[in-house]
Order: sequence, then C-alpha cells, then structure tokens
Amino acid sequence: MISPRQPAVYNSPIAEMLIPSPGFSSRASSLLLVLCFWLTPLSYGADWSTPEQELARKIAAVTGPGTVALEVVDRASLNKKDVDDISRGLRVHLETLGLRAVKPEQAAATVQVSLSENLQSSVWVAEIHQGAGEFSVVMVTAPRLDEATFAGEPAPLNIRKIPLWSQEERILDVAVLEEGSSPSHLAVLDPDKVALYRFTDGRWQREQVMEVIHSRPWPRDMRGRLVPRQDHLLDAYLPGVICQSSNSTPISLACRASDDPWPLSSSFTLGGFFAPTRNYFTGVFSPGIGKLSSTGKFFSAAPIPRQNYTLWMFATVDGQIHLLDGITDQTTRWNWGSDLTSVKTLCGSGWQILATRPSDNVTDSVRAYELPDREPVLASQAVDFAGGVTALWTEAKGSTAIVVSRNAETGNYDAFRLAITCGQ
Amino acid sequence: MLFGWRSLVVSSLLFGMVATAETRPQYGGTLHVATRIAPASFDPADNSQPDSVARRNLSRLMFDTLVVMDHRGHLQPALATSWQAAPGSQRWQFWLRRGVKFHDGLPLTPEAVAASLRVPNPGWNVSAGVDSVVIEREAAAPDLPAELARARNGIAKRGAGGSVIGTGPFHASDWQPGKKLSLSAYEEYWGGRAFLDAIEVEMGRSNRDQLIALELGKTDIAEVATEQAQRTIGNGRRVVTSAPVELMALVFSRDKQSSEEGKQRDALALSIDRASIRSVVLQGVGEPSGALLPNWVTGYAFVFSSDQNLGRARQERSEIQHAPAWTLGYDAGDPLARVIAERIALNARDAGITVQTTMSANPDLRLTRLVLSSPNPRIALPAVAAAAGVGAPNLNSNSIDELYQAENAILQTQRLVPLFQLPAGFALSSALQDWSEDRDGTWHMDDVWLGSTRP
Repeated sequence: MISPRQPAVYNSPIAEMLIPSPGFSSRASSLLLVLCFWLTPLSYGADWSTPEQELARKIAAVTGPGTVALEVVDRASLNKKDVDDISRGLRVHLETLGLRAVKPEQAAATVQVSLSENLQSSVWVAEIHQGAGEFSVVMVTAPRLDEATFAGEPAPLNIRKIPLWSQEERILDVAVLEEGSSPSHLAVLDPDKVALYRFTDGRWQREQVMEVIHSRPWPRDMRGRLVPRQDHLLDAYLPGVICQSSNSTPISLACRASDDPWPLSSSFTLGGFFAPTRNYFTGVFSPGIGKLSSTGKFFSAAPIPRQNYTLWMFATVDGQIHLLDGITDQTTRWNWGSDLTSVKTLCGSGWQILATRPSDNVTDSVRAYELPDREPVLASQAVDFAGGVTALWTEAKGSTAIVVSRNAETGNYDAFRLAITCGQ
Repeated sequence: MLFGWRSLVVSSLLFGMVATAETRPQYGGTLHVATRIAPASFDPADNSQPDSVARRNLSRLMFDTLVVMDHRGHLQPALATSWQAAPGSQRWQFWLRRGVKFHDGLPLTPEAVAASLRVPNPGWNVSAGVDSVVIEREAAAPDLPAELARARNGIAKRGAGGSVIGTGPFHASDWQPGKKLSLSAYEEYWGGRAFLDAIEVEMGRSNRDQLIALELGKTDIAEVATEQAQRTIGNGRRVVTSAPVELMALVFSRDKQSSEEGKQRDALALSIDRASIRSVVLQGVGEPSGALLPNWVTGYAFVFSSDQNLGRARQERSEIQHAPAWTLGYDAGDPLARVIAERIALNARDAGITVQTTMSANPDLRLTRLVLSSPNPRIALPAVAAAAGVGAPNLNSNSIDELYQAENAILQTQRLVPLFQLPAGFALSSALQDWSEDRDGTWHMDDVWLGSTRP
C-alpha cells in the first residue's frame, strides 16, 4: 500500500560528500553498478496480508456475500510461490467476508485479479463481472516485491551513503572529529594505529599516526571502535585493549590491556563486554537493562526508546535477534545480518534500525527499519556495498552511522557514513 | 510473449555491460548526436517548441532541475538538496545546493531560481529566501517536487536578446537555431565534470539520414523510428529503447454533440484492429492501448480494452440513423501516421463508418502523438487531458482508485481514442561507453564516455 500522503514531505539537508582517497570512488562505484544490475530481487516470504485484506474488502463491497469465481493473473513477473500465496490469502480474506470461491459455472460473480505493477508500487486490480454486463473495477497498491520484505508499510526514507575513507588496511572504525558543511577532521582506526587526517588545501592530509600497543595477537575478524570524548580526543576499544588519547599536543595514545565493557550506544549508557580473543560480545552487559544483565553472545546491539523504557535488540551469534525490554528476553529471527545499529533522526518515528543483510555471496546491503511494535517494518530501500560489511557503528552524535565494507573487487576497506533522509 | 520494449532494453543493457567491462572511463572526445527535432530555442520554458524526448534530453545537458526522478520514480536531490512542504502541501520550500554556478561563472542564487521558475509557471507564487526558494500554490500540490523534476522547469538565467544559460554539465558554445548545437563540458559542474569534452548536435535530420550518418561513423547517437527499431537491431546496430513514452491517439476536434455521435465514436474505437497495425505497421514495437497512460506508469492500463470488436462496432453503428463521414487528419511529415490513418479508415469502413484521411488543418479528428509529460501519473494525466481539450481531473490524493476514476472519466468524454503506447528508440555507435537511460528515455550523458574505437 502506498501510505497516505503526509502533510509534510521532505528530506533532510544532505551533508556534502567528502573527497575520497585516490582510487576509491570510480572502481567501487563501477563495481556497484555491475553488481546492482545482476542482483536478483530477494524474496523472503513477503507478507501480503494488508493488501490482500484491503482488496478482499473492496471486492466484497461490490459483490456482497455469496459465491465468486476467483482467478489470479500475474502481470508483474512474480514467482509462482508469491502468486500462489497471494491467491490463497485473497480466498481466505474473501471467505471471512462471506464470499466463497467456487467454480465459474456456480458463481454469482467472476473476479479476475491482475497482479500488476507501476514504477513505484505493485498494483492489484480486480475486474468484477456480475449478472448481465455488470462490470466493476477495484484496485489497491502494495509495496513492490523487492521492497516488501516484512509486514507493514515502508516509511518513505532513503539512506544516503557518503564515502569517508578507503585504504588497504582493515578499517575497524572511523570517527568524524570535526565538521562544518562536511567532515574536516577524521580518525581512522585500524588494527595497528589510529590515524588522524585533516582536510586542508582541498585534500586529505595525514596529521598524526598513533600506534596501538598490544601484547597479544589480535583475533581473526577483528573489530574495534572509536569513541570521541569531551575531555580528551578519543578512546579506542579493541579486543582486550582500551586506548585513551591524551589531551595535550601532539596527541599521544595510551593503550592498556582491559576487559572493560565497550559502549553499545552513544545515546544510552550501556556497555557490553567484548570477548578478547573472538569477534563477539560475551553477552554480559553493564549496568544492565532493567532486571536483565545478560543475553546470548552477540555481534551487535541497538536501542529503540519507548515511552517508558528502552527496547534493546541484540544480534546474537546464532543468527537470532533478542529483544530485551528490561523484563523479558524475547528471541526472534528476522533474516538480518550480524550487524545492526540504531539512529535517531527527524524521519518517521524518530528512531530507525540499520541492519545488514547479504545481497549475494560476496556483497552486503544495509536497510533501515522502523520498529512500531515488536516486528520490523522496512523503511528504506537497500543500500548495497561492493563487498561484505565488516563494521557498522552509530556515530557519536547518534543520527548517523559508520559502515565499513571490504570491496570485493579492489580488496580495499571502504568506510562510509550512512545518513537517513526523509525522502519521497 | 510479444517482442516489446522490455526485451529491447534488456538486450541493449547486456551489450552495454560487455562494452564497459574493459577499462575505466576516459576523459575527452566529441560526441555527435543527430536528431529530427529542429527547435528554434532551447529555453526549457519555451512552450512554443514541440515537446519530445529528444528535446528534453538536450535540455537536460544544459539545464538542471531542482530535483530529479530516478529510475524507480523516486525523487532525488539536484540543485535543491532538501525540500519540505507545509501542512496542506500548498507551500513548499526548497533549499539550494551551495557552490553551484551558472555557465557564466556567477553563482546560482535563490533569486535566480525564483525568476527562472516564474517563467514556465506564471500562476505560481515563487519567492526567494536566504538559501532557499518558496513556492506557494493556490491549491494543494502534493506532487510539486515531481513537477519540478520536469525538463520544462530546468533552471535558466535569461538575458537580453533571448540568451539563456543554465548550470548543467554542458554549456552551449555555438547555437544555430534549428540546425546545429555545439556543447562543451562545463568544467565547474557541481556534479563533476563530464567525461566528454564536447557534444555536437545536428538537427532537422530525417531518420534515414541519421542512420546513414551512424553507419558512416559521422554520428554516435541516431533516433530510430518505432517501425524501424526491429530492422535496425536486425542490421546489427546497438539500439536502446525506453519504456512506452508516447501515446498515439485519435483526438476529436470537439465534444460529442449527441448520444448518436457518442455511439459513432464508440463504433470507430471498437473497429480499430490495433493488433494488426502493431504487427504490420509498427513491426511489433509498441503496445496497443485503450488507456491514456502506459501500464508501467499506472499498473492498471490493461483494464481498458484495446481489442477490436467488429460485431459490437457494427451493432453500435446500426443504432445510428445518420452517421456523417469524418475527416481524419495526420502530420504530413510523419510517414508512420499516414499509414496508420489509412488503416484506421479501412477498419472504420468495415464497421460501416466513413473516414477520409486528410492533411487539412481542421479535420474532425486527428491522429496525434502525445509525449508522456512525467513518469508521475498525477502529472501525466492532466497533461493528456489538456492536450485532448478535456478539463483537468481533480487529483488530490495518492489514491490509485482516484487516478483510475479520473482516467476513466476522461475516456468517457470520448474526446480521444487511445491507440498505441510507443517507446523512444536510439541507435548508438560502438564507441559509446557507459550509456544509461531511465525508463522514460532520460539520458545520463554526463556519465557517457567514448571508447578508442569508432566504427
């Protein structure tokens, strides 16, 4: 369904794109184009119940209760399973409205439902024939199949992917330390160092490199996080190591072995203990969510504030999503990837979840979701990356996120800022 | 399955993919374009010039719009980076991109944008803010951003003597009205300098001349007439086609005067064998249509039948006592129109209706081509209604039902009989790389580059 037009339709001002490092954009973007072209739309068992229900209601309003012969015709190149699912769903909803599907010779009315589409939506058209020459047409719109992954209506949001940095070494995180209309001071964390870059004279110049001192070998699939601070420049969290920058110039970095929890959100005070020799959090967090202080081992976590509490989502290592509201730990599966985070924006409900999902064997995508209740509602189209996503963290200001992907063509690690705009 | 625009587009894209896989884009070179159109002006707001896909595409090379519509019909920022409607959607504010310059080097200002938009839209109240423009309409205008994505709303700075400049990826370096347009890449283009150095556009060339020029390597882009598309592909040319973007229809010169005339119009519509005309005259290209807008725009066009029903046509005709002979006009410069008009006259005769083809200025009905004004159906439908002389439909919501009812109401006036939805086709030289176009035929020329080999 196309959602009713909002009184105000807008998008947010868009940050200027940074000038990426040499060799970054053209190869990455050309690969993206190639991959986007060949990607087959994914089908995850879309929930068509809302348009089915609405179309059934419109049909029943024309025919009244009785018998109908129903034929469903695919005009949008859907797969057979979807057509069958929709056909079945329609029959069920018609039946609840007093319309029994029978053979044409026994029917008081014949209904041909065409599953069509236009540029933006699926369009389902019911042509209803009753009696001698009586003919009516009713129709509904629904999200197109490639956008209709989950139940509900997608809010019209866009995710803007703004290139920040690209390098051969694995990027664990990027922090934007200063920005006007566009970022002008960056910190890039990789396994060996924190590098500071400043945009001067029309290009990025390396300002300082601070080595990350650690005594134990890093785990595979290494992860890390940068957190800008008020009283000093930043903290860096790495597996079993925490580094703190000095507040003097030149800046130094003091690293120590530590199992202290990593911050899980920039908006809420909750820390998660990271397994120092693995790529996940242990499942224990501090200071706790209501009465709960642990869940399963997880890769990532994201809060969504409610009126009287904060709902936390954890993407656990077994592929499940745990929903913790302070009292219960509810598990579910949403076909999401390992990385999720949440951002506070001026769009939709004000908070969106950004979650990864594989696009194919080598590339990942990120989508935005709303969580009106306990089921996610797709809120944006997918943003595709030219490889797998290796990091997804909310930025310090809470409204944008940093995503890092490894470009399958170049092998480089590319960092982007993801910003949600309230588009059409 | 019928061979339509989908398969043409796919085959073209596959070709493009293969062609672009070999190297990174190269800067430089001059692209040559040939076209039938011969406009006297490229001012995007000049309504005296016939609308066409080619004209819009050439306009977009020089003039940017505030927003653009992407291949999925979603609006994307262009000269405006963000926009917002006040409750009621009558008042809209568009914030302008910073750092954009006109081709004369002067900055794009809210005042210049407001002045530009007032020309094609005299009924709008457009005012300039500090970093934005505000547009106020008399009624709710929920589709205003989509309206601003149309080429006619390209932002132009108009000077003395009819000079007009824009902010687009190319600027005019030589302009011989109706004959030739030379464009050079704009080095300071906000979206990044185009790969091409220059574009030379030869105008007023027949389709045949264009294809010969393509064959001889004298042009890189040639328009392909609908009925020539299959043959051109068969000759090994690389052809790209849009989705259907042009409605071919019979348009009556006045409202029906009686119920008998309504029956006669109905009989004529039922007598037309669109399937045969498509197969024989159009060589299998295009879609027979009983709808005003193509299915890819609305999703419901198939509901309006386009099938011939000679039995019903004769029945309707038999209920008329006096069926006057009609004159059917067509564009004398359009060879396809002449052949189709003659076929329609033959079909009508089978139903007992006399239709005489004519090139006179005031026929009873005219075979007309109407270019799709926008992929947004709520913009496109009123444009079709206006072209047919029917009052604009009242479209206040996003409802598909409302749109369908409005289209049905226009058809019920019997002022026009839809015949075909036709794509726009272009033959491309093998030197052209990274070609892409939207479903409505919009080119993305700033991404195009020339390979080292020419035919």
